[in-house]
Amino acid sequence: MPDTSDILSLESLKVHFPIQGGLFDRVLGRSAGAVRAADGVDLNIGRGEIVALVGESGSGKTTVGRVITKLAQPTGGRLLFEGRDMTSAKGFSALRPYRRRVQMIFQDAYQALNPRHTVFDSVAEPLRSLRLVKNHAQLTERVSEALSAAGLNPPGDFFARFPHELSGGQRQRVVIAGALAVKPELIVADEPVSMLDVSIRAQILQVLVDLRAKHNMALLFITHDLPLAWLIADRIAVLYLGRLVEIGSADDITFNPRHPYTVALRNATPQIRSDASRFELPALQGEVPSAARVPKGCRFHPRCPLAFDRCKEEEPPAIEVGPQHMSACWLPTSGAKAGLSTPNLKSADHGSV
Amino acid sequence: MSESIVRYSSRSRARAIKSFLSNLLGHAGAQLGLLCLVFFLVLSAVPNILVGPLETVATATGDFLVPPSSQHLLGTDEVGRDVLNLVVHGARISLTIALLATVISLVVGTTVGITAGYYGGRVDVWLMRLTDFFFVMPSFVLALVITPVVLEVMGRGREILGFRPSLFVILVVIGITSWAFVARIVRSQTLSLKERTFIDRARVVGSSNLSIMVRHILPNLVPQIAANGALVVAGAIYVETSLSFLGLGDPLQPSWGTLLSLAQRAGAASTGAWWYLGAPGLCALAVSLSFVLVGNALDDTFNPRQRVIP
Repeated sequence: MPDTSDILSLESLKVHFPIQGGLFDRVLGRSAGAVRAADGVDLNIGRGEIVALVGESGSGKTTVGRVITKLAQPTGGRLLFEGRDMTSAKGFSALRPYRRRVQMIFQDAYQALNPRHTVFDSVAEPLRSLRLVKNHAQLTERVSEALSAAGLNPPGDFFARFPHELSGGQRQRVVIAGALAVKPELIVADEPVSMLDVSIRAQILQVLVDLRAKHNMALLFITHDLPLAWLIADRIAVLYLGRLVEIGSADDITFNPRHPYTVALRNATPQIRSDASRFELPALQGEVPSAARVPKGCRFHPRCPLAFDRCKEEEPPAIEVGPQHMSACWLPTSGAKAGLSTPNLKSADHGSV
Repeated sequence: MSESIVRYSSRSRARAIKSFLSNLLGHAGAQLGLLCLVFFLVLSAVPNILVGPLETVATATGDFLVPPSSQHLLGTDEVGRDVLNLVVHGARISLTIALLATVISLVVGTTVGITAGYYGGRVDVWLMRLTDFFFVMPSFVLALVITPVVLEVMGRGREILGFRPSLFVILVVIGITSWAFVARIVRSQTLSLKERTFIDRARVVGSSNLSIMVRHILPNLVPQIAANGALVVAGAIYVETSLSFLGLGDPLQPSWGTLLSLAQRAGAASTGAWWYLGAPGLCALAVSLSFVLVGNALDDTFNPRQRVIP
């Protein structure tokens, strides 16, 4: 049952995109299968909580974000907002109350702003369309407030600028300001800093963390970068091929990962250390399988160095491996806990991530 | 919008417009085309001041089929009217019909194109089948079929919106046979625009479909619409001239096509009255060529990589 303190929960959420088969398949009435972008994701986000969703490209993390912001329709499972089922809500007027409370920050800030709209228009758009302001004075006030909160000062200087007149960091701040202007309770941030210079990343992350501190805003932070997730999040959920493989507190996932995939992700993270040889990262073997051909059994088993017979046959459920720490892996049950210490997976230094 | 915002953005817009104009005028074709268009627009704006009121058989001043002279710069026709006078007055009719037909074509084409591209699915399929239907509809046949019906219904002497019935028919026929071209271009651009992230963002911030189409997609289509609009005008002039030449024009409101038709019936070609055929013919050619030149230059300026072949 949904916990009332959760602002949002996903219950075995599925998003399958059907593959258009050839003429032959269609005549025979055969289904050509489906791309399983999300395949049974369970995730809760508490009020004011920052949850990071980590995964490689193609793992379905963006799809999960799009379902939460109602840009994609799930094919199975439920999306609950404060316990209310929002799965089948449709139409912009029916979704208006939801939009007032759930907003999104996009990865590519240049693409996310209409090149023909000024900064003022872009930030004012949610306030106008969600009917949050009564008159123009109020609109200007809310826009200024949002721009300052996103770190664009003085806001008046930016009103009449067009996106092409701004730097990458400034554009991302405009997108953030647009989401903030609404004063939402949950923001889905889809790789908000991956397109930005490292020097600007910290500032943008600071803006997001400050918001949580000030307005108790929950944040779903979608990223492929484990250290970044650790830096910002309270909890981290690791997604592989449309399914959560491990979820737990940021420290547990980063320093005490229990799923071989999380361990591999962690070990693949480059570190700046004088003693590390430069190109000997224990890279994951193989490619992420296509989401249209999800392997039988544990979906990670073809790439897993520790896979045994059971992994090839049965898909592991999420097993509690610690307080608030779940891992979808058969290893703990096999008693082969020591397996995680095999040389090729064991990370050398726990404190260095 | 508050005044301060308008002031800020007008400065920025002015800069954008200035750089756009300097780019556009960098094309020699655009310079020539614009010069020519301005000349004909002046002609059609104040014909009475330039050459006096439209001459009729009753007010004709010259002899029959006189070659160009100092008195009649472009000679006279078979009833003694000054050809210069007729051509200048014809400019007004030709350009008005072409421009109004283009407005119809752009409004219908853009609406259908955006709707089909944005909604996709069944809406797209049905709207594009409708577009295909209009795309293959021959304007000549349609005009020939509709004109007698309209004349019968409206009566010969009446005017519709200041146009004689047959001219009104030409205008409408050009409008409804040329929008399909615009609709296809607009649809294809909409298909690519609607996948852009800012459309997703507009949806997340609660904009309605109508507002997304009008406020997000339409402004980004302006370059294509403007460039193709110029080509549509060129096509409209050509079709208007042809239809009038076939006899669908109105002698009381003569366009260039009507003049060509009269000249042909007066046997201008066989009697060697080159001025009578040449003047309206060259005018129609010059104006449609100018629009094509301007259209191509607009297209190059907005979108240097994609050329539309007229």
